[in-house]
Amino acid sequence: MTMTLSKKILIILAVLLVALFCSNISANAISREVAYLQTDRTTYIAGESIFYKLYVLDADTRKRSEISKVGYVLLRTTGSGSSLKVRVRIDSGIACGSILLPDTLASGAYQLVAFTSGMRNSQEQGFYYQDITIANRFDKELKFKLVNSIAPDSNFLKPSNKETVIKTDKKVYGLREKVVVSLENLVSKANTSVSVYEIPVLSPRVKTIVETMNNTLPTVPDNAQKLFYHSPENKAKILNGRVIDVVTNKVVNEAVVLLSCNDTVPNLQYAVTNADGKFQLLLSDYYDGKELFLTIKDVPAGQQLKIETEDEFAQNQPWNSSLISGSSDFKDYIVKSQNIVYINKSYQLNNDLVDKSVGDINSICPQFYHSTGTTILPSDFVSLDDFPEIVVEILPQVLITRDKGKPRIKVYNTLIKMFNRNSPAIFLDGVFVDDVNKILVLGSEQITKIDVFEVERAFGDLVFSGVISIVTKSNEILNTKPALHSLRLKNDRVNTGGSLVTINPDQILSKDLPIFKQLLYWNPNLELKGKNTTNFEFYTSDNAANYMIQIEGISEDGSPISSSSGIQVINQPNVTNK
Amino acid sequence: MKHYLYFSFLVICISMHAQTNVGSVVPPRDSTFTAKLTGEFFYEGNKYLGVQYFNDNWTQGDILLSSGEMVSNVSLKYNGLFDEVIWMNTSNFGKFKVDKSFVKEFWLKYEPGSSIHFKRINVSEPDNGQQPDIFVEVVIESRFSLFIQRKISVVGTETLYRNDAFREFETIEPTPVYYIKLPSNHYLKLNKIRRRAFLKLFPEKKKALTKMIRVNDLNVSVESDFVKLIELMNKEVF
Repeated sequence: MTMTLSKKILIILAVLLVALFCSNISANAISREVAYLQTDRTTYIAGESIFYKLYVLDADTRKRSEISKVGYVLLRTTGSGSSLKVRVRIDSGIACGSILLPDTLASGAYQLVAFTSGMRNSQEQGFYYQDITIANRFDKELKFKLVNSIAPDSNFLKPSNKETVIKTDKKVYGLREKVVVSLENLVSKANTSVSVYEIPVLSPRVKTIVETMNNTLPTVPDNAQKLFYHSPENKAKILNGRVIDVVTNKVVNEAVVLLSCNDTVPNLQYAVTNADGKFQLLLSDYYDGKELFLTIKDVPAGQQLKIETEDEFAQNQPWNSSLISGSSDFKDYIVKSQNIVYINKSYQLNNDLVDKSVGDINSICPQFYHSTGTTILPSDFVSLDDFPEIVVEILPQVLITRDKGKPRIKVYNTLIKMFNRNSPAIFLDGVFVDDVNKILVLGSEQITKIDVFEVERAFGDLVFSGVISIVTKSNEILNTKPALHSLRLKNDRVNTGGSLVTINPDQILSKDLPIFKQLLYWNPNLELKGKNTTNFEFYTSDNAANYMIQIEGISEDGSPISSSSGIQVINQPNVTNK
Repeated sequence: MKHYLYFSFLVICISMHAQTNVGSVVPPRDSTFTAKLTGEFFYEGNKYLGVQYFNDNWTQGDILLSSGEMVSNVSLKYNGLFDEVIWMNTSNFGKFKVDKSFVKEFWLKYEPGSSIHFKRINVSEPDNGQQPDIFVEVVIESRFSLFIQRKISVVGTETLYRNDAFREFETIEPTPVYYIKLPSNHYLKLNKIRRRAFLKLFPEKKKALTKMIRVNDLNVSVESDFVKLIELMNKEVF
């Protein structure tokens, strides 16, 4: 059979197309997300809050990403130091919140880093970096250095964008005067965030969302990068970790890692390590703000295993930036900012800036059992000094033995009419106990309730020879130290808050109250109505200065929106339009 | 041509292999991130003559948990004698009673697209006191719903010579109980489906129901006809 050259080429091309399609499947399985973070300002005084809006966009469609549900915002200093870490809940590609800057924060240049876990697969290309300046409220010398900053544009009153025009009813306003803003020339509906802030004398360069999306977008990683694959957190936070043998320093596969936390009911979640010794645990809202107790089930005798968890905020690239000294004008600006914060603190006018956190939403406790066993209330009996005494006197179905000096607990199985050979699952204040000794010291004065299940119980694929659950009066589990093969870590709450910041119109009328604000308006969720004009309004304060109205956002069709315009506030009532 | 085919096969294999590398480095997610069934070891006992299950063979099923989570494709049996969902833990082949309060609904999937739906209900009424929850087959869910408890009961005893000794066995057989849920959310119970007993439940509609049974030529004692009758009740304005 003979073939013409063109036929041969056609076959090869067809094969290559099929191959390309196959490799694309894997490419699509890895999300290509890009982060953008708008902050209310770029210069802060320690004690103030950073208000932010996080956009997570799909690099392919350029629309809001529907993949990641968890985002991370890190505040770091030069080198590798990190100051604050917050986790945010992303809803259809957007999230907002506020970060309260501790009063103790040192003056200097800082960087905010925003990202999702999935972005690590593209070598952090989708991460968003924003330099900011923070001055300590009590720093009088102000000798700190800044990142390369820019002076304000003298033409700041002119709108920056022809597509989305910001119009104000006037350009120059007096103190405590209402400002009406209208947004025009919009093509389609959009979700935006708006900040009206005093323009600092020097400010780190701020990228707009349009510039971010016009930059080189993340590329599909090659196989070498895939070795560090991070699952997109499309349901909740994923705790990544691994189990290693302390002696050989080798990873351990097939190890069962148990997770529980302090609660009134025994709770459990588990994962089995893979060939690389890695495990993943899904941290639903239930775990928000809780301490996590991780342990390894049934560590073989003579083996020393340990759990290592991944720092979800870890950065591959340290922040190294050349710093410059601030000008005297800049120092004057910082002193003014410090005074404003001082006044607001003195008059307690910072109520709208308090960092807020929400409680558990839709949190489901992964209960270890959903039925009732035998419940014993030690308070119904005479006081007993320790658990072995309790067992002897009021828990006939439990037996404590010694195996090579180590205590072992067994439960009488009513089905087989003998004590189970294996130890039961023991919970103390909801936490799976990694060492029996932790409960042996507990007497009836400390224990509120003991639940015993005599029959074998299954939890998913795991089977336990009975259950003993002890609830103490003062959460004794919190006073215990984790065993060598265990780990205890805090899972911070999801950061929220700062939905709308504006001066309360009622305050405007009280002349005795000093209202000095450098942030006049912050709205992280201003929905633009498409072709119709969108209006919003706010009040000026007693702080006469130049202000920037900055809008960033993304339209429904995936077009990034960036626009800015300025206004002037002068120390004069009843100002006429110039 | 043969060489081109070899070449094509080689290129496709290389491309496919490129993807599989991802899976090998990622910990198994499905087993980790899905809700876990919880339950107690189930001892079947050997003192019964007859089948204690609604489905005697292990059937693939889905369970909707009271937490709202779904556990899919697990091996299940519904035990009508103890009113329990029995789950085969495939990792150790142990049989476990799924914690009843944790199960909201479950489906036994006999073949693709066909399943039998069960749910946990409480039929307590002021005159019958607080009753425990029961699992019922959902036959009709409408204004008048029909639920059937696939109960298996001990109907007698028999002494048999087994293992070199005379032993007493309990004879068990299906004794379905029918529950009609009224629009007022009250339940009417029928231990046996009989025309007279059924008509007694609706004294005010006796004439209309009698006519409906006669016109449609229904034998109320036959379960399929009884189901048709409840369907007709939903179509007619009562």
